[in-house]
Parts: sequence; C-alpha cells; structure tokens
Amino acid sequence: MAREVNIHAIVVQGLSVLLLCAFIELGAGKVFEGMRGYFMTTGLIVMVPPLLGLRGNINGALASRLGTGLNAGLIKPRLAMSTEIKVNLASSLILSLIASATIGAFAFGVNVLTGAPTIGVLELMAIAVLAGFLSALILASLTVLMAIISYARGWDPDNVTSPTMASIGDFVTIACIYLAVLLVV
Amino acid sequence: MVVYGTKRIVLESYPILMACILIALAAGYMLNSSIAEIAELPLILAMIPPINGMGGNIGSILGARLTSALHLGTLEPRLRGQHVLRMNVSASALMSFAIFSLFGVLFFAIAYLSGIPVARSLSLALAFFIAGMTLSTALMFVTIASAFVSFKGGLDPDNVVIPIVTAIGDVLGVTCLLMAIKIVGV
Repeated sequence: MAREVNIHAIVVQGLSVLLLCAFIELGAGKVFEGMRGYFMTTGLIVMVPPLLGLRGNINGALASRLGTGLNAGLIKPRLAMSTEIKVNLASSLILSLIASATIGAFAFGVNVLTGAPTIGVLELMAIAVLAGFLSALILASLTVLMAIISYARGWDPDNVTSPTMASIGDFVTIACIYLAVLLVV
Repeated sequence: MVVYGTKRIVLESYPILMACILIALAAGYMLNSSIAEIAELPLILAMIPPINGMGGNIGSILGARLTSALHLGTLEPRLRGQHVLRMNVSASALMSFAIFSLFGVLFFAIAYLSGIPVARSLSLALAFFIAGMTLSTALMFVTIASAFVSFKGGLDPDNVVIPIVTAIGDVLGVTCLLMAIKIVGV
C-alpha cells in the first residue's frame, strides 16, 4: 500500500467495513440503552467501557496474531485444531478471565473511592468474569473462523478481521453483560 | 515447530491490558457521574458504543496503515513534508465525515421515531456529529503521536498503537459526547 497512497481505495475499503460496523454498533447501543434500569444504584456502568475495551484488545491481538501466522504460513488455513490455534485460543481465554476479574475489582474500587452507590465487590467481579469469559468464548471462536475463512478466500485477514470483530465484539459483550447481570443481580 | 507460547502471550499482553483497563475505567467513571442526565435521556447510552467503536476503528485503521508505512520506510517519524502521512490523514478525515454524518441521520431517525420532538432530535443528531468529528480529530493526533513515539523508542508500533488508541478513544469518546450534548443544549 505504502508505495502509492490511494485515498480513493482507502476510503472505499475503509468505509464499507465501517458501514457494516456502524449498524452492529447501533444494535449494541440499543441493548445498552435497554439495560438502563440496572445502572442507577449498582455502579455497574463503570465496568462497561473497560469490558468493551478489553474485548476489543484481546480479540484484536488474537486476530492480528492469526493474520500474521496465516500470512507467514505458520498457521494452515484449515478449520482444524492445530497446536498454534489451540495456544492462541487458550491465551485469549486465560487473559479474558484474569483481566475481567481485575476489572470487577477495580470498578468496585472506583465506586468506593468516588462514593458512588455500588453492589458488592464479589458481585461485580462475578458479573465481569461471567460476561468476560462467555463473550471471550464466543468471540475467540468467531475470530479464528473469520481469520481462516477470509484467508482461504484470498482476503488479507489483517484488513477484515480486526474491524469487524471489534464491532461484533461490542455487541456480543454487551449482550453477555446483560445476561450476567440478569443471572447475578 | 510451535511459535506461539501461551505463557509468553499472556505475560506480554497483561501489562498493556492493565494500562488500557485503567484508562477505560476513567470513561466508566465519567458515565457514572453523568447518571442523572442519562436517566433523563437514555438515548445517550445508545450513543456510547457507536462513538467509542467508530473512534477506535478510525484510529486503528490509521494506526495500522501508519505502522506499516513506518516499517516499510515510506514514512519517517516527523511531521513536515510527509506525503504519505498527509494522504492517510485526509483519507481518515473523509471517512470520519462520511460515517459520522450517516450516524447523525440515523440517530435523528431513531430519536424521532422513539417519540422525541423534531427540534430535540435534530440537536441530538447534531451533538453526535460534533462529538464524532471532535473525537476523530483528537484521535488522529493521538494515533500519529503514539506511532511516531513508539517507533522512535524502538518499540514495535504494531503492539502499542492500537491498544492505546482504542483505550484513549473510549475516554475521549464519552467526554466528547457528554460535552457536545451540553454545548448543543439538548
């Protein structure tokens, strides 16, 4: 790309992915709006941006490692559980688990320090871990599928997987937070 | 040969994730402190994922392109006389304008259909557009700065730029949105 910068190509490719993302994000927004009843007294809302960000970062990194692995020929574009894919999946799940627990604890800390109303630290951590692990399971599998399929079709997974997974990730994560809230609170 | 190791991936990722969590908690705190406004106008909540997501996407695309260009040597980490930088920034600016105009129209439709009067729906849409454009301008600076600084410091910008840009995008997105709503006076 860098030898000749083609604004037209960047804008057209970027916009088509962004347009798709826009509608997924709107869906995520509507689910978020639907949860408003839970935000007034629980201090839950503090956890939402970090959980969304975490999901994007862990999956983005997974997508970019898979993209590199596929492009470099280290990962074969087949839908089989090779060691490389297992290691990548396991790392993402472990990271989700420990980072989500951290978010729950930190969110409780922020609420206590700022004197905001909050539910207990264990409840916040349970919601974060449940939502984080469930969405990680769904999204990591989707990321592997999407990276391998896009590579097999001749698209560069670097261009396709990260932005689409970021938006799908927002939607799935918010839905999982909602589910976890319903189960725990 | 197995190139990836679980331990290495987890240990290398956890610190940057912690940094991002701490930055994003600031966004959560700001939302929590505006809970009264949100209760009055729940559509604000529906605007949070789109503005944060889009800001992150626009910054990440620019970041990915800049880091590739830095690695390839077609871009040098300075601001003057950089054709590649100028072209990439114009492309991102064009994309932001197009996508946030579209969101403005969509949010006008959503607000109006959910029973908010026309004038107020228009100001909501305008607030989202202003917030989006402010956010993407600010994020472009953050992206360029973090790409150049990490490249000069000998870090691989691929590992640093996108997590930083998306986390800062979360805080700035919420800030821009809440401020734009105050300024437009919805």
